[in-house]
Amino acid sequence: MHGEYKIPGGKLVVVDLDVIDQRLANVQVSGDFFLEPDEALFALSQSLEGLPADSSEQTITERAAEALANAETLGITAEGVAVAVRRAITGGAA
Amino acid sequence: MNEEILAKWRSYDWQLLRDRDTPRSPLMHMALDELLMNEVSQGKRKPTLRIWEWGANAVVLGRFQSVRNEVDPEGAKRHNVQVVRRISGGGAMFIEPGNTITYSLYAPIELVAGMSAIESYAFLDQWVLIALERLGVKAWYQPINDITSEGGKIGGAAQKRQAQSVLHHVTMSYDINSAKMLEVLRIGREKLSDKGTTSAAKRVDPVRRQTGLPRVEVIDHMVATFRELFGLQDSQLSEEELAAAEELIATKFGTDEWLYALP
Repeated sequence: MHGEYKIPGGKLVVVDLDVIDQRLANVQVSGDFFLEPDEALFALSQSLEGLPADSSEQTITERAAEALANAETLGITAEGVAVAVRRAITGGAA
Repeated sequence: MNEEILAKWRSYDWQLLRDRDTPRSPLMHMALDELLMNEVSQGKRKPTLRIWEWGANAVVLGRFQSVRNEVDPEGAKRHNVQVVRRISGGGAMFIEPGNTITYSLYAPIELVAGMSAIESYAFLDQWVLIALERLGVKAWYQPINDITSEGGKIGGAAQKRQAQSVLHHVTMSYDINSAKMLEVLRIGREKLSDKGTTSAAKRVDPVRRQTGLPRVEVIDHMVATFRELFGLQDSQLSEEELAAAEELIATKFGTDEWLYALP
């Protein structure tokens, strides 16, 4: 499943994932944003693994914010990641 | 450009790397960026401006982009395009050697001290805007990382930072084959949603159309502008540097592990 969200004034966040047993699996966050250090991106994707597929945008935002807490970000926000995740899950605009 | 900014730039002994007659492979360019950035961090090389000459068609993916989401494999194959991944974030670039002007700055981090990341993008390309203006092109910075003009986008920048240095590289469209680009890159509607246009092809207004000058003259003029503003010494890649870059291709940039880090 695939979701995209262009953060207003920021960059494009793309999320690919599967839903297995009502939980997020194989989550890959990608896009044309900037992030230091590199590892923060993989920590971000990892942090979303196993979340219930019916998690609210708020819950996903909190999880993403935690993963990004020590990263320097440019063009990507936890809120933006959450929108892209919801879009991937619902298969449309969230 | 005000005196304070000029003084900042002029406090370094800038080196020029321009292999005018030695186009490099896309992988070699990826490796040189990492190598030269490390060398500036370690004080092994003075701050450097490198002008790229491309040896082949390429798609250069940003560090955090997914291969399958950005590249059409059939289109890439058909047009003999090599897909590589760079060390900086940002978006995919479609490169045809004669259509592209690319340069890298390898600068000590002190040059951008006290600036936000967004401010540093515009700051590091101010000299380019001056060079373009002197060619009659009214261009400006559109945050975060676009160089744009009334007719459309001209280029895009990306940065990678280390504790001691910043890599700032820019690709500008000298000319563009939009049809080919759209066969090679997947550019979704979502990406364009807050840019006010629906056609990726229409968003770009290349330097050739805006200046009517040959590509090499535009580059000559950019180099001359940098030299005049900040000073610039001609420099060469050493045998050791080239060997180290080859090693980086073998161990990193040429591996599937790196390219498909995000499949």
